[in-house]
Amino acid sequence: MRAACVAALGAVGLAVFACASPDTAIDRTEGTGELRGLALEQPFEVPEFALTDSRGRRFDFRPETAGSLTLLFFGYTHCPDICPVQMAVLGAALDDLSYADRREIEVVFVTTDPARDTPDRLRDWLDLFDASFIGLSGELETVNEIQAGFHLPPARIEETSPAPGAGEPYLVGHATPIVAVTGDGVARALYPSGVRQTDWRHDLPLLLRLNRSVSQPAGADTRGD
Amino acid sequence: MQWWCAAQSIPWDWSWRPYPGVWLFIALLCLAYRAFTRGAAPSRLEIARFAGGALVLWVALDWPVGALGSGYLASVHMVQFLLIALLAPPLLIAGLPREALERVRGGRATSVLEFLARPLIALLFFHAIVVATHWPEVVDGLMASQAGSLALDMAWLGGGLAFWWPVVSPIPHRPRFPLGVRICYLIASTVLMTLPYVFLTFAELPFYATYELAPPVGTLSAGEDQRLAGLIMRIGGGTILWTAAGVVFWFWYRSESDPVR
Repeated sequence: MRAACVAALGAVGLAVFACASPDTAIDRTEGTGELRGLALEQPFEVPEFALTDSRGRRFDFRPETAGSLTLLFFGYTHCPDICPVQMAVLGAALDDLSYADRREIEVVFVTTDPARDTPDRLRDWLDLFDASFIGLSGELETVNEIQAGFHLPPARIEETSPAPGAGEPYLVGHATPIVAVTGDGVARALYPSGVRQTDWRHDLPLLLRLNRSVSQPAGADTRGD
Repeated sequence: MQWWCAAQSIPWDWSWRPYPGVWLFIALLCLAYRAFTRGAAPSRLEIARFAGGALVLWVALDWPVGALGSGYLASVHMVQFLLIALLAPPLLIAGLPREALERVRGGRATSVLEFLARPLIALLFFHAIVVATHWPEVVDGLMASQAGSLALDMAWLGGGLAFWWPVVSPIPHRPRFPLGVRICYLIASTVLMTLPYVFLTFAELPFYATYELAPPVGTLSAGEDQRLAGLIMRIGGGTILWTAAGVVFWFWYRSESDPVR
């Protein structure tokens, strides 16, 4: 009898494992219907800026991303931790979307290490995550001015020994959040490091819905459903 | 410096790191063996088996396997599980001389161990530990600290010792657990381990924040790493358990064909 009870408890344990999923595991905002990212209390209009993409062409951010939900990140390809994780998690989450939804989203990566992130390196690195990701580069001063327009701290080369520029590796301190910008050019939410695929899976439909509501006239919502 | 391998948010590199807690644990294990077998004169084979088990534990817990498995790759974490819970325990138990085991029978502590070593109890105890220690919140919670990581490793070792005891140890002798039933016991374990394997291998999203958000090692994505972990559990665990079942079958066949033995 005792053995049978223990067996039953074991079976229940296994069944509960079967019911576990990442969604139930970390749902921090269960039932609220809110973004898991940090929704900006005061959404702001993003600055107009133009940089060079990995094909050497001029990329005017506002016109090129008008109408799309844009996920913008400032980082660098030699980053050992935050940047590849952010891009990998985002890239995997985008794979889950339907083709129509995916077409509405642009991912723009602005390098904070223009000295080492050549266009080819930028392209090769981004291709590891998603070939559609857009890589932009420009002078670090220019990039920092753009970041200021997004209320993000400037990137800076961290002191290393030997000095940067001597061909030795160095680190670049930079802001970690991905900025979600709707098609009307307004920043709506931030996704700091630590955001998981399950969080993106939860938020992307909400962000797309928001994007459609602000990018198109009322009643013209016909894309992607 | 860490004393026991645990998740860190620093990039992985292949430079060696010391983990003195692991060395101390292995040293204490060997000293305990020496003290336990004093006067029992273990054979060379028994000493070799125990040393093999201790060596497997050391490999699983120390750099680089321990460091990679505790904070970077779920697939290496699974390798650790196989080494600590499925490979080391039968070697450690098989290294204990019968005379030394007989000497400690009858005490209160051993009565608890004898309860845990009952086949059905051991089977369920082990698989409850397998499920619990692969649960996302448990893994993410424990791997974040050295004490938690130590607790997880010890849970695997304790569960593994309980699981293997009825199969490997001659003490206590159980006439109702004949060799044929032992084979069924081992095969039942391969079936019970299917469930975690299925969920790791076929999950749409990564289960563990520890590994999903870890600084990258190589080019494996978090999803691929998790699927690989599931396959390692299935193939590696299956290989160990089916090999053990084969060995038991061989003993069974030999005893059936030569009853005098």
